[in-house]
Amino acid sequence: MAWNEPPNGNNNDQDPWGNRRRRGNNDGPPDLDELFKQFNEKLSKWLGGGKGNKGGGSNKGGGSAGSLGAIIGILVVLVIAYAAYDSIYTVDESERAVVLRLGKFHALETPGLHFKVPFIDAIDQKVNVTEVRSYRHQSSMLTGDENIVSVTMTVEYRAVNARDFALNVRQPETSLANAAESALRHVMGSATLEQALTVGRDAIQVAVRERLQNYLDSYNVGIELAQLNINDTSPPSAVQEAFDDVIKAREDEQRLINEAQAYANQILPVAEGNARRQLEEAQAYKEEVVARATGEADRFTDILAAYNEAPDVTRQRLYLETLSGIYENASKVLVDVENGNNLMYLPLDQLRRNATGSSSASGGGNGGGSDINNLSSSEIRNLTDQILGELDRRRGNN
Amino acid sequence: MSNRNALVLVALALLVFLGIQSLYVVTEKERAIKLKFGEVVQADLPPGLHLKIPFIEEVRKFDRRIITLDTDPERFITSEQKGLEVDAYIQWRIDNVRDYYTATSGGDMFRANSILESRINSGLRDAFGLRTLREVVSGRGQEEPLSTGGRIEDEGERDRLMRQTTQQINQFADGLGIEVIDIRIKAIDLPQEVSQDVFSRMRSDREQEARRFRSNGERQAEEIRASADRQRTVILAEAFREAEQLRGEGDGEAARIYARAYGQNEDFYSFYRSLQAYRESFNDGGDLMLLDPQSDFFRFMRDQNGVN
Repeated sequence: MAWNEPPNGNNNDQDPWGNRRRRGNNDGPPDLDELFKQFNEKLSKWLGGGKGNKGGGSNKGGGSAGSLGAIIGILVVLVIAYAAYDSIYTVDESERAVVLRLGKFHALETPGLHFKVPFIDAIDQKVNVTEVRSYRHQSSMLTGDENIVSVTMTVEYRAVNARDFALNVRQPETSLANAAESALRHVMGSATLEQALTVGRDAIQVAVRERLQNYLDSYNVGIELAQLNINDTSPPSAVQEAFDDVIKAREDEQRLINEAQAYANQILPVAEGNARRQLEEAQAYKEEVVARATGEADRFTDILAAYNEAPDVTRQRLYLETLSGIYENASKVLVDVENGNNLMYLPLDQLRRNATGSSSASGGGNGGGSDINNLSSSEIRNLTDQILGELDRRRGNN
Repeated sequence: MSNRNALVLVALALLVFLGIQSLYVVTEKERAIKLKFGEVVQADLPPGLHLKIPFIEEVRKFDRRIITLDTDPERFITSEQKGLEVDAYIQWRIDNVRDYYTATSGGDMFRANSILESRINSGLRDAFGLRTLREVVSGRGQEEPLSTGGRIEDEGERDRLMRQTTQQINQFADGLGIEVIDIRIKAIDLPQEVSQDVFSRMRSDREQEARRFRSNGERQAEEIRASADRQRTVILAEAFREAEQLRGEGDGEAARIYARAYGQNEDFYSFYRSLQAYRESFNDGGDLMLLDPQSDFFRFMRDQNGVN
């Protein structure tokens, strides 16, 4: 690096000649002296030295056989060359150079090529005024309602006032970091946990920013905030689970309600359908019985008309037709019982079993009406014969 | 190279050296005092180029920029005897170089820092001791509610505490030649064991909230179900009512129709209806009938004239 190049932005504990200052102590030799020493060292290097005797302050160049005039001449030329070199400097587009003339603030130079008086003017610092610097902070802190919240904050700022930034505060970045943390915690201390986590985040951001800018203005540090973001506020990891459970609980609540709603949506239409069916069936019944009644009544009326014309004959006819129709389909046993008080026992079940034992294995004893329907005509004949036999036997006994 | 030359060279060098020794520059960032045999002869030299007598006077320079002092976290007790870990930082600068030089035995910054730190610690300790935890954290009184919703009020006791402490310290720091620009609490944290208590309280708060959500869900679900069940019951009951009414209407109508028809000849009706009933009763065949040959039907079986 060129030996007069100013140190980088934040390392402002160096003077323009790259020497570390002994901080807080009186520094012995003044700057010019140091310059000279430096100069000598450089000189001997340039001359392909190796014989650079770094005489404390004295300029016994090489101790060679050169005459005094020559030495002085060389020195003068070198000094002039250095002065020329030292009097021109450039400032980058993004920077402002803080120039001190014999220690006093002289000028704040804008981008471009500039001249300065060598040895008298020094560039204290070239401050980058457009670069957005950022500071990120994450920690846990107390809220106003005595909960703990973990916060991540990003502060973006610019050193807009290069003079203040370079000259007023020893560690601008450290001051900013401290002030930012303080402002953040202060505002968080005034907020509730709920505000910190949800509803108040924007307001907190605004308040922190305002507060921090106030602090910085009072330090005169030449920093302007570009942006302040509370990126993340979350409950401490120790209780994260409980917070997650609340979210789950909220979903559970919704789920339970939805399930109940689904149940309602399921049973009500079915009930409506059922109701509809009942009504339809009732309506059907009503129409059916009315229709049947009407039909039967009409039929009766018609028959009655015929009956009224010839009552006896019609009555006789109907009676006979009906009975013959009935007897036609049934197996008949004529029992001529002389004495009406005679109790006659016909073990019908048994008879039927005997008749059908070969073909059906119906359970005994419980009303054979249904079984009887299944009998073939030969079985019925069989059965009839058995009954007749039995009857005969009884009559014999009587 | 002759002796004369060497002499000239040496003289020249000496001259330069002397010049350098008698000139010094004070920059914008510095404050300087001039000492003559250790005694301060000139304090607070302005920035610029100055002269001094070489070897007799010496110049001490101090940083005049704002210096940040970050204190170590300290444990303070609030008025209700709760412990707090407090971390503060101080922005200060040298205000009066002469006082500073004498008070800190030659401008030793470490010394200045440690004096300041102990003073600030005791100042903060007093300030904390007069206030409750709530006051120092939130700046609100015990009974004063915090702002809610999207509004933050961060002005309060906490700012006042800082201002008062700063003023106090400044009164004292005057003698040190120091001006305290700002004292700020970076962090107020609960001690480890108290943090655990806070965590468990936060946890139980959340658990309560979760329970509230779940039971509220259950309540609403139960209400929805019950209401659905009720509606179903009502719908079915109403349907039953209407159905029965319809059936009744049908039955009534039918009965009226029957009555109108059959009322024309009740005797014939009972005869006719009985026959119909017989037919329906024995219509499936397979019945076994035990018949009395004496019945009317068999009249002509017994006798061709049917008299018996």
